[in-house]
Amino acid sequence: MNIDIADLTRRFGRNQAVAGITLQAGPGVVGLLGPNGAGKTSLLRMLATVIPPTSGTMRLLDRDPGSSDSRREIRRRLGYLPQNLGYYPGFTVAEFVEYFALLKDMPPGRIPAAVAGAIERVDLGAKARAKLRTLSGGMLRRVGIAQAIVNGPELLLLDEPTAGLDPEQRVQFRALLRDLGKQATVVVSTHLVEDVGAACTEVALMDAGQVVFRGTPAELAAKGTDQDTGDAPLERGYTAVLAQARALAGTRR
Amino acid sequence: MTGNDDVNLDRVWLGIATEVWRRRPGRVERLTGQLLRSPGLARALLTAPSLLMPWLIATILVLGAGVAATRSSGQPLVALLAPGLAAAAIAYAYGPGIDPAWELSYSMAVSDRMVLLVRALAVFAVNAVLGIVASAVSGAAVAIAFDWLVPMTAICALALAVATVARSAIAGAAAGLAVWAITVLSVRVASGQVTAVVTRDVLVLPYLAVSVCCALVAVYATRIPKGTPR
Repeated sequence: MNIDIADLTRRFGRNQAVAGITLQAGPGVVGLLGPNGAGKTSLLRMLATVIPPTSGTMRLLDRDPGSSDSRREIRRRLGYLPQNLGYYPGFTVAEFVEYFALLKDMPPGRIPAAVAGAIERVDLGAKARAKLRTLSGGMLRRVGIAQAIVNGPELLLLDEPTAGLDPEQRVQFRALLRDLGKQATVVVSTHLVEDVGAACTEVALMDAGQVVFRGTPAELAAKGTDQDTGDAPLERGYTAVLAQARALAGTRR
Repeated sequence: MTGNDDVNLDRVWLGIATEVWRRRPGRVERLTGQLLRSPGLARALLTAPSLLMPWLIATILVLGAGVAATRSSGQPLVALLAPGLAAAAIAYAYGPGIDPAWELSYSMAVSDRMVLLVRALAVFAVNAVLGIVASAVSGAAVAIAFDWLVPMTAICALALAVATVARSAIAGAAAGLAVWAITVLSVRVASGQVTAVVTRDVLVLPYLAVSVCCALVAVYATRIPKGTPR
């Protein structure tokens, strides 16, 4: 299992962002759905080894990220696109992707070809030598995806990767996700349920720091009825599961 | 032999793109990479804001003004300027306050702590060399030309500690400059000599104590939590 976590929690002061998540995932694309504040970003940040969990156990790529040697090895094989991708305005696209390839400890001889391959995969070849400050928001998002995949990661964590992409780019990106998911574990946090339906083999729906549904996109869609809110079956399934989870939580309180 | 139909144009283009987009590291970067045994660490070092040419030129200009003032007034202004400049440079060496891609950098195999360490040491060394050269050019007494290195270490450590704890380069630089200014003025009032802040032997121990304490604070603030909590 590339991801093996049990009873994982994360607290920020009084706020319980993640409240006991247990999850295993092998190769494939897992869509992480949920409303704002559900804990998706906190979970991804823990999986990216950016923040440690408050409690629970976590193994990534069959290693314990708590030990520094293992964490370094995990990070070599990890790709991460944060929600807010900071960038260096004076870097070109190729320089930015290369910078993070170097920080991922990739063998220097492999880097130029890997950088070119990653830039081409996100369809930014025409902008490879453009400064980042000249790019649109959607292009910057694709630069972020390029740096995430440059090392051929076995665990790829993408926090709202399609934000700012136009419909054509989103369709291309879904194809890229499906391709990456053949060998790697890809976890994609998104608000766009149609992305999940088109690209994900599995979906986890989070609310109030917990996973309230896990299954295939078809299983989530089947949870919805015509009475539920939403324009598509998957949206109706999403709102139905959320409503059930909240009703259950209300009863417990 | 393969016919034209067998040519994989995507692969050919990728080979061309690899060569066209390849960045050729400069001599300094290659040498630094060999010294540090990590091309990634070398690249991270040479992208430190306070080691970039505009910052270095600004530092040289300020020290140049200090040299001119020292020569005309006879007061050792370079010895007073150098620690403050170095403190600001150290605060701007690394951290969430100045690195736009901090979150991403934090998830990298080359650890942020190692990047911080090499950047802080390099920035300190560069500023020390520039300060010593400026002191020598200004014609300051030999003692004064080197005595400021100890207070400079303390003020740099303070700026680094504040910058890492507050996660703000501005806070670190402001703390370093403010504490240095207060120290200079206080010692001048107490002793009547503007140079006393760098020449008095009795201040060496407090400077060293501040250096060690602040270095420990910076190490603690950038610690990596051990083990996964159970």
